[in-house]
Amino acid sequence: MVCSEWPEIRLDEYEGVWVAAFADESGQGIEEASLQLIGAARQLADKLETYVGVALIGRGVRDLAREPIFYGADRVFVVDDDRLATYYPAVWGRVLHDLASRHRPEVFLIPATLRGREMAPYIANSFRTGITADLTAMDVNERGEVVLIRPPFGGFMLAHIVTRNRRPVMGSVRPNVFPTPERDESRTGEVVEESIDVPEPRGIRLLEREPILKKEEIPIEKADVIVAGGRGIGSKEGFKLLRRLADLLGGVVAGSRKAVDAGWIEPDKQVGQTGKAVKPNLYIAVAISGAAQHVFGIREAKRVVAINVDPDAPIFEHSDYGIVGDYREVVPALIELLEEIKGRRKEG
Amino acid sequence: MLRIVVGIKWVPNTTSVNIDPKTGTLIREGIPSVVNPHDLEAVEMALRLRDEYGGRVTAITMSPPSARAGLEHVLGMGVDDAVLVSDRAFAGADTLATSYVLAKVIERLGYDLIVFGQETIDSSTAHVGAQVASWLDIPYVYYVTHARLEGGRLIVRRSLENVRETYELELPALISVAMHTLHPRRVRLSHKLRAKLESPIETWTNRELGLEPDCIGLKGSPTALSKIEMIPKVPRKNEIFRGDPREAAKWLVDKLIEEGLLEV
Repeated sequence: MVCSEWPEIRLDEYEGVWVAAFADESGQGIEEASLQLIGAARQLADKLETYVGVALIGRGVRDLAREPIFYGADRVFVVDDDRLATYYPAVWGRVLHDLASRHRPEVFLIPATLRGREMAPYIANSFRTGITADLTAMDVNERGEVVLIRPPFGGFMLAHIVTRNRRPVMGSVRPNVFPTPERDESRTGEVVEESIDVPEPRGIRLLEREPILKKEEIPIEKADVIVAGGRGIGSKEGFKLLRRLADLLGGVVAGSRKAVDAGWIEPDKQVGQTGKAVKPNLYIAVAISGAAQHVFGIREAKRVVAINVDPDAPIFEHSDYGIVGDYREVVPALIELLEEIKGRRKEG
Repeated sequence: MLRIVVGIKWVPNTTSVNIDPKTGTLIREGIPSVVNPHDLEAVEMALRLRDEYGGRVTAITMSPPSARAGLEHVLGMGVDDAVLVSDRAFAGADTLATSYVLAKVIERLGYDLIVFGQETIDSSTAHVGAQVASWLDIPYVYYVTHARLEGGRLIVRRSLENVRETYELELPALISVAMHTLHPRRVRLSHKLRAKLESPIETWTNRELGLEPDCIGLKGSPTALSKIEMIPKVPRKNEIFRGDPREAAKWLVDKLIEEGLLEV
C-alpha cells in the first residue's frame, strides 16, 4: 500500500530535467547558481535522452527568458508576475510546485542558495516526494533510475540516492559545485509563458529589506590563493598573522569548521563539506588537523600546503608540501621571506 | 501563554569521525553522540522567548531511546518538558517521513511557535523545518538571528547572502535559527535536579500517534540509499620538511617559485 497522504501518480508521465532559475540581484541576469545547474541538468538530460526545462519565476523576468537557453535549456517556462515582486518561501515554493506539476518533470533541481535551501524542501513536500540535499553528481544507473550523489557523512563516503515510486526526483545543489557553462547565443529553444495563480502570502509579511554592505572581498570559492586556519590557531589574534601571509600572497583567509565554531572567522569563510568547496591554485592549511570533511572541500585545490605541529596530523596525507612545526614560528618566517622577495622585486 | 516546540537531533559528533590513514577505513570506535550543536542555538532562542514573554518550551526528538540523554541535556538548559518519539516503526525514515511524524507530534502537543536549528552536522540537509511547515501549512522563515513578539506577532530578522530582511509572522509559525549566531546557555544543576525529580520526558511510540504504517519509516520514505562508495583520495606529492622554521620557509618558497605559484 501507499501512504494515503500521497496523491497517486503515474511514473511514466514524468519526463524532462528541470531547473528552478531566478534573477540575480541586479535583475539584469540569471543568478549564477541557476546557470551552473542548467549545465549539470544538460548532461543528465542527454543521458536520459530528454529535454532540459527551466522554471523561471519572479517579477520582470520575461526579459531574461532567453538567457537559460544560451546556457543549455531547451524550454523555459516563465512566470512573470507582479505578485512575485516580494519573495516569500511558501509563495514561491507553491508557484514552482504548481508550475512543475503542470508539466511533470522527472527531475527537478533547485539551486541551494540560502533562499533555494529554504524553498526546496517545501516544494518537494508539496509533491509528497523526497529530496536530496547538496548533491555533487548525478547519474543514471543500469535500471534507468536517476541517481543523485551526495557526501553524507564526514565527507569521505558518497551516498547514491534513488527516488522510487515518487516524482519528481528532487535535489538541491550548492553554488559552484558545477561550473558555469559557456554562454552560446547560437543555441535555440522555446520560451513558454505561463500563468499561475500566485497565492497571497498567508501569515507572513516582509517589513524591511536592505542590502548588506560588504567589504569588497574575493569570496573564498573564487580565490586563487587561500590561507586557512584551524583549531590549532588558538585565537582570533592568530588569524591576523594568517591575514598578513594571505595579503603577501594576494590571497584570502579562510577557516575550518572548528575555527568558525570558535568565532575566529566568519561562517561564509568555512572550507569543507558543511562549508564551501574551494578550488585555488594554492591552499595553505595552517594548524588544521585535516578532518575528512575539511579535506573534502579542498579536493579541487591545485597545490595544498600544510603547516602543523603534529607530524601525525592527517592533513599531511592530503598535502603536496608539508612543514612540521609551530605556525607561530613558521608563518612569521614565511612572512619575513616574502617581504624580502617583495622588497627585492620593487628594487629590481 | 506561548507554547514553543523545539526540535532537536541526537547526532554522532562528526568532527571526531575520521579515516584510519593506514587502513583507509572509518574509525567508529568511541564516537560520542551529542545534541546537534545548531539545535542548541534553537533551544537558546526558544528559552529566550519564553524568559521574555512567558510560556512553555517543549523539546522533541525522533530517535532511538539513547537520545534521552540529549533531551536531559536541554532540560538541564531550562527546557520545560520533552517528548522522545521512538518506535522501530519510525526507523529508516528519510526527511519526508521524519517531518511527517514530527508534524503529527507537534500537532498533538499544540503549539504557537516551532523552532528548529538551521541544519544538522551529520547530514546538513536543512530539510525538516520547511517540510514540517508544509505538513502543518503554517508560515515559516529560515536563518533567523533575532526574534521578538510584538502585539502577538513574531518579528524576526535574518540575513541572506547579500540582504538583511525583517519579517512579521502570525502565530502559529515555524522558524529555523541561523547557525553561529547564539551562544547556548550552560546546563544548570538546579534544572538537572528538577528534571531528575519531575522526569518530564514522555516517550511516544506509534501506539500513541497511530500513524499509517505506509507513511512512516522506510515505507514512508521516497528516497532510498542505493549504494555507498568511498571517495577516492586525491593524489598529492606528500613532501614533508622538518626542521628550522626559517629553513622550512625557504624550502617552501623555493618549491612555490619552482611551480610558478609565486612570482619573484
